Amino acid sequence: MSLLGENLVRTDAVGKLTGEARYTVDYDGKDLLHGSLLRSPVPAGLIKAIDTTVAESLPGVRCVITAKDAPDARAGWVLREQALFARKQVRFEGEVIAAVAADTPEQAREAVAAIILDLAETQAVGDMETALAENAPLVHPEWKSYQPVSGEDYPRHGNIASELMADDDAVDVAFENADLIVEDEFTSNRQYQAYIEPKSAVGIYRDGRYTIHTGHQYPFNVRDRVAQYLDVRPSQVRVIGHSIGGGFGGKLDTGLEPYAAILSKFSGGRPVKIVNNRTEDILTCPSRENAVIKMRSALDKQGNLLGRELICHMDNGAYSGEMAFMPSVIFHLAGSVYKVGNIRVIARLVYTNTAPTGAMRGVSGVYFCAFQERHMDHIADELGVDRREYRLRNLVGNGDTLLSGQVLDDADLLRKGFEKMEEAAPWSQLNDNKKPWHGIGICAGTWITNSMPGSVQLILNEDGTVTVVTAATDNGSGAVSMGITQIVAEHFGLPADDIVVTMPDTDVAAYDGGSQGSRTTHIVGRAAGIAADELKGMIFDVASGMLEAGRDDLELVNGQVGVVGYPDSRISLGDIAMTATWTRGPLSASGSYTTAPVPYNPGCASGMLFPFFPTPTYHVHLAEVEVNPVTGNVRVVRYIVVQEVGRVINPAGVRGQIQGAVAQGIGHALYESLRIRDSRYLERSLEAYRLPLAVDMPEVEIITMEHPHALGPFGAKGVGEPAIILAPATVACAVSDAIGRPFNSIPITPEDVLEAIVGKEKQL
Amino acid sequence: MLERFISVSSEEEALAQLNAHGEELQILAGGTDLMVQLQQSGQRTRRLLHIEKIPGLQKISYNGETGIGALCTHRQIVESTLLAHYRSLRQAAAQVGGWQTQMVGTLGGNICNASPAADTLPPLLVHDARITLVSQARGSRVVDLEKFLLGRRHTDRHHDELVSGITLSQPPERGSDIYIKVGRRSATEVAIVGLAACVALDEHRRLIEDVRLAVCSVGPVPKRLYEIENLIKGQEISDSLLDEAGEMLLELIEPIDDVRASKKYRAMVAPRVLREAITCCAQNASG
Ligand SMILES: Cc1cc2nc3c(=O)[nH]c(=O)nc-3n(C[C@H](O)[C@H](O)[C@H](O)COP(=O)(O)OP(=O)(O)OC[C@H]3O[C@@H](n4cnc5c(N)ncnc54)[C@H](O)[C@@H]3O)c2cc1C
Repeated sequence: MSLLGENLVRTDAVGKLTGEARYTVDYDGKDLLHGSLLRSPVPAGLIKAIDTTVAESLPGVRCVITAKDAPDARAGWVLREQALFARKQVRFEGEVIAAVAADTPEQAREAVAAIILDLAETQAVGDMETALAENAPLVHPEWKSYQPVSGEDYPRHGNIASELMADDDAVDVAFENADLIVEDEFTSNRQYQAYIEPKSAVGIYRDGRYTIHTGHQYPFNVRDRVAQYLDVRPSQVRVIGHSIGGGFGGKLDTGLEPYAAILSKFSGGRPVKIVNNRTEDILTCPSRENAVIKMRSALDKQGNLLGRELICHMDNGAYSGEMAFMPSVIFHLAGSVYKVGNIRVIARLVYTNTAPTGAMRGVSGVYFCAFQERHMDHIADELGVDRREYRLRNLVGNGDTLLSGQVLDDADLLRKGFEKMEEAAPWSQLNDNKKPWHGIGICAGTWITNSMPGSVQLILNEDGTVTVVTAATDNGSGAVSMGITQIVAEHFGLPADDIVVTMPDTDVAAYDGGSQGSRTTHIVGRAAGIAADELKGMIFDVASGMLEAGRDDLELVNGQVGVVGYPDSRISLGDIAMTATWTRGPLSASGSYTTAPVPYNPGCASGMLFPFFPTPTYHVHLAEVEVNPVTGNVRVVRYIVVQEVGRVINPAGVRGQIQGAVAQGIGHALYESLRIRDSRYLERSLEAYRLPLAVDMPEVEIITMEHPHALGPFGAKGVGEPAIILAPATVACAVSDAIGRPFNSIPITPEDVLEAIVGKEKQL
Repeated sequence: MLERFISVSSEEEALAQLNAHGEELQILAGGTDLMVQLQQSGQRTRRLLHIEKIPGLQKISYNGETGIGALCTHRQIVESTLLAHYRSLRQAAAQVGGWQTQMVGTLGGNICNASPAADTLPPLLVHDARITLVSQARGSRVVDLEKFLLGRRHTDRHHDELVSGITLSQPPERGSDIYIKVGRRSATEVAIVGLAACVALDEHRRLIEDVRLAVCSVGPVPKRLYEIENLIKGQEISDSLLDEAGEMLLELIEPIDDVRASKKYRAMVAPRVLREAITCCAQNASG
C-alpha cells in the first residue's frame, strides 16, 4: 500500500503532547550556569563607560563580559556589520552590551542590573522618512568599511542598506502615452513571528570547540554566524538541534547562541543557558519589516496595462541580516502574476534605529501582494470592469517571463486556479447575494519553493529499519515528522514506524539550508529520493547474491525483496542488512540536492539579486468579510484557498499549513502590529500584541491542485509558506469592497474601518 | 509565624485571619488578576489568604431577591438559569477573558479588583447591585456597588473585611438588558469600551419608562450615566434623542489613549454603542 496521500500521524506528536519532547529550555545538568544579557535601554546612544566591578562581586556570578572580552569581529548573513557586543555606539533598543553567567537565573539578572552603564543618548533615526531625509544622521557612520560575507559588494550607501533598481526607459513612454494613470500609496506594519517558544540557547566550550544546543530552524546558519562572531572556523562550532516550538522565520539567524557560547568559554567550559522572556523576545525579534510602496500604472483606453512604476521602501532596522536580499523579492514578484507592461522597480532597504527586521513567513511578498491586489482592484474600479474579470484579462500564462527573463512554464495554473475557485464559489452569485456590510475579495499569486541545498544519509539498519541522518529541521510544520518520514518510508515500502530521523547535528549531517521558504519537503525529500535509489541499488546487489537471481529480476515490495513473479522468494530488509554488514560492510547511501538555477538575464536589475524564482507555485484566494458597523470590527466569514501543491504527501499536513498560514495572514491583515513610537515598540507583551484567537478564525476551505513537479519528491513542491502570501491581500480587498472605501494600510484596524464608515455617513 | 500562603476552608477562619492580620494579607480567590499582578510587580512578599475553598460562597440563589456568592465563577454565571433575566451580566461574564479565565475567575474578584475595564461592573451597576461585606469585629454591612467603587483599583473594603456576596434588584417588567463590549478580538480582550443598558417600556410599549446605563473603560471607574438616563426617561426613542444622548455621553466620559485603542476611537465608538444598546433593548422589550 502506498503511503502517499495518507494522513500519517506526525512522529513527534506523542512526545509533544506528553511532554517528552525536549526543548532547549529543558536542557539541564548539575553544572549548568545561567546567562543574562544587558541590553541597550535606548534606541541610539554612545557608550562612555561600563563598570562591571559590582556585578562581578555579586554572589554566584561566574563572569561578566563586554565588547572588550570578545573578538574584534563583525558578523552578518550577507554583510558583516554587527559586533557581538556594542562597543561604542548602540543602534536599537535591545542591542546587547554585556553578558553575565551565574549559578541561577536570578543571580544572573541581578548582576546585569548591577552593571553601571554610562550611556549618552543620541538622536535616533526612528523611521524611514527621517533616515532618507537630507543630512539625516547615519545609523552606521562606518558603513563603508563593512564587508560582504562573500562575493562582490552591492549597491548600498548611507542609510540605504541595499538598493535594487530595474529601470526601463519605455516606462516613461508608457506613462506619456497613457489614457489613464492609476496611482496608489500603500503601507504595512511589522509583524512578530509569535511562536509559542521564546528563544533560548545553551553554549558549551570544551577542547577548543563550541557546542551549541538550540531549537533552531537553520542550525548551519548558527554554526556559521557563531564562527564569525567568535572568530573561529565554522567546523569549530557544533550545533545540536532540539524540538522547535515554532519559528516562522524568527529562528533563522542567531539569537542567543553566540552569547551562550562565549559565556561558557569565560566560565571554565560549564554549559550556559540563556532564555528570553517574552518581552525580550518581542523587542529583539526579526519581525516582518514595515514598508511603504508607491505604485503607478499606465493604461490605454481599453484598460490594457502599458507600464508600471513601483517604488518600495522597506525598514531594515539597525542591522540587515538576510534583509539585503528582500528588495529582489519585490523585483521578482512585480512581474509574476499579471502582465504589467514595461516596468520600473526601485526597492530600497533603509537603516533605522529600530530592532532589526528579518524574515517572516512569506517575507516581503505578503505585503507586496496585498498592495498589488489592492492596486488591481483600484484599476478595475476606475475602468468599471469587474475585479475578477480584470485579473483574468491580465494573468500571465505558460511561457510568459518574469522581469528577470526567467520563463514561467506552468503559469496557466493561475487561470486554472480561477476556474477551480469559480466551481467552489461562483463569483457573480457571491456578488448578487452579498448582504449589507459584507464584502468579497479575490486575489491571485505566485510563490517560490526555496532552493537552498539539503542532504540526507540513509542507513539500512540490521533490524530492517532505515535511519535518516539529516540536518533538516521540523519547525513544527511536519516537513520532517511527516514529509521526509513518509517519503523515505514510501521508497522502501516500509511503515513510517520503521523510519528513524535524527535530530540535526552539524557534526553529523551535511549542510542543510534550514526550514524556510517551504523547502524542506521538496529539497530534502528529493535528496532522500536520490539516497534511496542508491541504497536500493546496494540492497538489490546483496539480495541478488542471497536469492541467486539477476538484479533486474528483483523488486522491493513492502519492505521485502523478491524475484518478480515468485511471491515465496521474499527476504526481509533486515536479513539483507545483516548479511551485508558481515560480508561487505554496512549499507548506507547519501543524496544531496539543490534546485538548479534557471537561465535569466543578469542585466535585468542592479542590486543584490536573488538570481531566480525557484520552483514557483500558483494560488488563488477568495474571502468574504463581515463588518460590524457599530464598532468597525471585521470578521472573515468565509475563506477559500485554491493552491497548487505539486503533490500532496500528507493531506493533514497540507491542510494544517494552509489553515495556519491563512490565520497568520488574517492576523497580519486585521490584528497584529508592532507599532513604533520614538524608535521603540509599543507592543511589548502578548497582552498588548493582539494575536487573533481560534474563535476569530474561519474554517478555511481548501482546494489543492496537484500538478506533480518532475524533480520534486513524488512530484511535491513547497506548501508551507504560500497561503500567507495572499491572505492580507484578499482580506484587504474584501474590506474595501464591504465599505466602498480603499484600505491601503495593513493592518486594517477597527479604528480605520470605523473612521471610513463615519466619513461615509457624514457624506450622506 | 504567619505563613506566606494560608488556605482557609470556612468563612469564620477567613474572618479570623483577616481580623488578626488583615493589613498584611492579600485575599486570593481565583487568582486570575492577582497572580498576574504579583508576577508583573515582582512582589513576592505579600501573604496570600486563599479563600477559593470556602463553601457557601459559590451559590446563586433567589429568595425574594437574587443573590450571587462572591466566589461564583464567570462560567457559573453564564450558565445559571436563575440569572435568565440578567442577560447583560451573563453576556459580560461570557466575555471575561476566555474559557480558562471564566472557569476560575470569580465575580467577587472582578469587583474587588476594581479595574476600570472590569466587564461585570456595568451590568451590575444597571441592576443596582449591592455588595455584602463581613468582618469578625463588626458583622456584616451592605453597600451599593456604586459607593463601593472609590477609584481605579480602589474600593471601600476595609482590611478585615471579606466580600461575601452581591444582590441584584428585581429586573423591571417589560424590560430588556444588554452588555456590549468593544474589543479587537472576540475573547481574551480588555474592553476598549463596555456599556450596559437596561430599558423598560411603558404599558403601551411606546415610551421608555425606565432606563439604566453604565460604562467601563472610559474613565477611572465604571459608572452609571444618570444624566443620559434622565434625558431619555419618559421619551419615545428617536434618532435625534439618541444623537443627543451620544453627545451627552461624550461629556460624561474621559476616554484615554492606550496600547489597546486611541482616545479618538473610544470617543467615536462609545456613542454608537450607546445607540445600539438602547435600540436593541427597546426592540426586545417591545416584543
Ligand atoms: C487572560 C486573562 C484575561 C482576562 N480577561 C478579562 C476580561 O476580559 N474582563 C475582565 O473584567 N477581567 C478579565 N480578567 C481579569 C480577571 O479574570 C477577572 O477580574 C476575575 O473576575 C478576577 O477574579 P479572581 O477570582 O481570579 O480574582 P483574584 O485575582 O483572586 O482577586 C482579584 C482581587 O480581588 C480581591 N478579592 C477577590 N475575592 C475577594 C473577596 N471575596 N473579598 C475581598 N476581596 C477579594 C483580591 O484580593 C484581589 O485584589 C482577565 C484575566 C486574565 C488572566
